[in-house]
Amino acid sequence: MRKKGIQTNDPHIQALARIVGGEKSILYKKEDLIAYDCDGFTVHRHLPKAVVFPKNTEEVAAIVKYCHEHDLPFLARGAGTGLSGGAIPLNGEVIISLVRMKRLISVDLENRRAVVEPGFVNLKLTNSISDRGYYYAPDPSSQYCCTIGGNVAENAGGAHCLKYGVTTNHILGLEVVLPNGEIIEIGKNGIPDPPGYDLIGLLTGSEGTLGIVTKITVRILKNPEAKQTVLAYFDRVEDASQAVSDIISEGMVPAALEMMDQTAIEGVEAAAFPVGHPKDIEALLLIEVDGISAGISEQIEEILRICRNRNVREVKVAQTEEERARWWANRKTGFGAMGAISPDYLVQDGVIPRSKLPEVLKNIQQISKKYGLRIANIFHAGDGNLHPLVLFDASKPGETEKALAAGSECLQACAAVGGSITGEHGVGIEKKEEMRFIFSDEEIAAQIDIRDVFNPKNLLNAGKLFPTPGRCVEVKREKKQRQSL
Amino acid sequence: MSLRESEIKSGPACTTISLGNYRFSDPPDPSKWADCVHCGMCLESCPTYEQTGQEQHSPRGRVHLMKSVGEGKLEITEDLIDPIFMCLDCRACTTACPADVDVGGLIEEVRGQIRQAIPLTGWKAFVNDFFLKGIFPHPSRLHLLGSLLKLYQKSGLRTIARKTKLLHIMPEHLVEMEAILPEVGVPVRKKYKHMNVIKAKGETKHTVALLTGCVMDVVFSDINEATIRVLTRNGNDVVIPQNQTCCGALHVHAGDRETGRMLAKQNIEAFQHVDRVIVNAAGCGCMLKEYPELFRDDPEWREKAERFSQKVEDISKYLHDTGYEKPKAELNVRITYHDACHLAHGQGIRQEPRAILSSIPGVEMVSMPNADRCCGSAGIYNLTHPEMANKVLESKMQNVPEDVELISMGNPGCMLQMAMGVLKYGRNQKVVHTVQLLDWAYQKEDGKEVRV
Ligand SMILES: Cc1cc2nc3c(=O)[nH]c(=O)nc-3n(C[C@H](O)[C@H](O)[C@H](O)COP(=O)(O)OP(=O)(O)OC[C@H]3O[C@@H](n4cnc5c(N)ncnc54)[C@H](O)[C@@H]3O)c2cc1C
Ligand code: SF4
Ligand code: SF4
Repeated sequence: MRKKGIQTNDPHIQALARIVGGEKSILYKKEDLIAYDCDGFTVHRHLPKAVVFPKNTEEVAAIVKYCHEHDLPFLARGAGTGLSGGAIPLNGEVIISLVRMKRLISVDLENRRAVVEPGFVNLKLTNSISDRGYYYAPDPSSQYCCTIGGNVAENAGGAHCLKYGVTTNHILGLEVVLPNGEIIEIGKNGIPDPPGYDLIGLLTGSEGTLGIVTKITVRILKNPEAKQTVLAYFDRVEDASQAVSDIISEGMVPAALEMMDQTAIEGVEAAAFPVGHPKDIEALLLIEVDGISAGISEQIEEILRICRNRNVREVKVAQTEEERARWWANRKTGFGAMGAISPDYLVQDGVIPRSKLPEVLKNIQQISKKYGLRIANIFHAGDGNLHPLVLFDASKPGETEKALAAGSECLQACAAVGGSITGEHGVGIEKKEEMRFIFSDEEIAAQIDIRDVFNPKNLLNAGKLFPTPGRCVEVKREKKQRQSL
Repeated sequence: MSLRESEIKSGPACTTISLGNYRFSDPPDPSKWADCVHCGMCLESCPTYEQTGQEQHSPRGRVHLMKSVGEGKLEITEDLIDPIFMCLDCRACTTACPADVDVGGLIEEVRGQIRQAIPLTGWKAFVNDFFLKGIFPHPSRLHLLGSLLKLYQKSGLRTIARKTKLLHIMPEHLVEMEAILPEVGVPVRKKYKHMNVIKAKGETKHTVALLTGCVMDVVFSDINEATIRVLTRNGNDVVIPQNQTCCGALHVHAGDRETGRMLAKQNIEAFQHVDRVIVNAAGCGCMLKEYPELFRDDPEWREKAERFSQKVEDISKYLHDTGYEKPKAELNVRITYHDACHLAHGQGIRQEPRAILSSIPGVEMVSMPNADRCCGSAGIYNLTHPEMANKVLESKMQNVPEDVELISMGNPGCMLQMAMGVLKYGRNQKVVHTVQLLDWAYQKEDGKEVRV
């Protein structure tokens, strides 16, 4: 059995343990820390110095203050489902885990908003208010487990963001602990769009480099009156992509418009939530429309017509809620499902203009051939947010490197057609080099300047978001600053 | 070929089979952790993660730890015991996992390694040796224990013990257990000892064997009786092989795979002459179905185990699939159903028991939120990890609807634990086995007095 009490002389561990109230709220032994050496991005691993579990904002502030004063690097962690390595303690950070701050503080239906602690799990919000006819719109596929704090940090998107927007469109207020331990509140009382700079916009998507979010006021929406879901099987990827373009250019805004290619279909069908998709089609589309009942069936008719025009092999409308739920479970567990056909995967997250879909998908196929690695595509086709999943086996020497290179090339292909290197998963460690595909040195330096206003010592989540050579700029500037002090 | 096989085949013949820092025979199967892509979709399904928020107590964290030992990055130390043994082996994570990672199976294999590397001491060693080795595998001792318990309950000793506060010197969780133990009856194995077969009522459609269970038959012999009545009423001849034994689940969960194998062999032989083995305890049924896992390195027994496991079925699924007479008498009760982990997550049986319950006239089903969340019973987990078991139970009880009279389920371990929850949290439900309700409906139909 384990011995009671803190079993180390390290004064920092002892001090942190005192802040959080003892041994049950701190981890510092290797056996316990290993689970924290990476997040959903497994290519880089590093052990943290410790993991602390604060219960409230004051404890977070005290921990941060302590780290700030003692020059200990630190970072925030939610559920650790991030896919770009944002929660990996590259510098042996003290991890501040927010999962015990998981209360739903209040729900205000009249003003359509709710206040949550950062560790509150995304799906639980919808589950807590659905009986009253409301829901929280941003629905990343990881919503069963990821935290709203993590969603704010990554500005998470989801299948239904095509119509409803990503996380940032649903945040009304934040309480934040700044990297020096100061507690600030922005968007007081949840009044949307306060005057002055849009700080909520700046913090949302800052990947945990500007502060630690400790309370969030979110917008909640009334359930749509009606909802219909279509599943369409295509023999050719081009036809599926064209159908996507047609739907959008007709001026329709489906709630969701998702695509999977053949390799992806093989994966989801081999995994825990199979639907029975044919294995020989090149692509499928999952399309959902919602809104007031009037007009829904016309929209569905229109979508069916477009699919048929584009040579769809089979197209059907979900007949029951159970069927609809099965289609979505199959889609939403798609990344994890790759485990059924490959030991490891690397998920990429590029954004492209929709019209370039067929071209970029073809390029990705070329990249797959070049590296001899299979690449599956599961993605939000409606907003051109691609997710190429590079399948590899980390236990084979050299294959991880190959996968990384292939992934990077996929992003280059997106940037080359005027797209971007991340839609919703963030830059983190994974894509910091690829930032160069879209930003010049000066632009990167300007962003670092902004970070420095909040995080001047760069103790909070250092080494993420900006490319390493960019650090030359950074280091130079830091020196300059110090000299001028 | 899995990594383990390749290592075994490439290693010199005289070396012991080992994998990273797993140095004993029967090491975990690395292809099981290879499926894990570290996505975290299992986190919220895990009761111990819910309670602690700590990832070494989550499925993903546990898999990562077990893999680290297999890759030689971590030694088996005292500090590994907590994360691995705190797991309830409830399999909720396997249901949630998109890649179907068999976390429970891995946990059992790794426990086997840890128990050999660091043998138990103290109270846990006592519980383990006394119950798991000393009592469960031996029917005669179990029956003796049953008789003692009966003596204790009937002779006034119970009243004396309660009055004199004798109970206060026992650990708290045992005291709680004592309070909810049902009245002990006559084990069916003993009762039907001299009958080769209990004949079906009317025409015989099938012949089935009943696994009577070890503790089950002592503590819940009335459920076994109900099972026999329901089976015979539905055209089944029932046989009770006398040389059957404890299923071994508790041993395997605790890491004692050797005893598990010994018991498995005995059962496989005991049931070799029947085509169907019916089980009314989810934990036992799941174990019997998983016997092949115990013989990964023994092709001959593996094959026997595979043939055996095909024959095993849970009573609810068996009745549902082969057809049963729909009861006609009305019971008029409001009930809720709890999914035993080893029925829902372990055997994928969810709808069948619900369908049986709903088919009883007058039964009003009220659904329980998170019905397939573990109750904390988990074999003898509530004895070895009382603190966590209690927290898990508390969160379970919060989901039991207020306005029901009965909580139905398909596992005796859960029944004890839930009964404890009812007592502890001042609720007023009764806990019943699914098959008992069906039996009561039949009995009422036959004009007998029933005690719903
Ligand atoms: C299977 C799977 C599917 C996914 N699907 C989607 C999807 O559809 N859309 C999408 O957008 N993402 C998706 N993701 C990525 C991921 O789930 C999201 O980025 C999510 O927002 C991360 O939340 P988390 O709680 O897991 O955060 P973590 O992974 O713990 O942290 C992510 C980053 O946020 C920071 N952070 C966490 N909490 C806080 C806080 N309170 N304050 C400040 N910083 C904080 C961390 O430091 C880190 O940099 C998916 C991931 C997986 C594994
Ligand atoms: S066990 Fe399954 S759900 Fe959990 S992290 Fe691994 S692959 Fe994902
Ligand atoms: S078996 Fe249960 S307790 Fe163990 S890791 Fe899985 S969900 Fe958690």
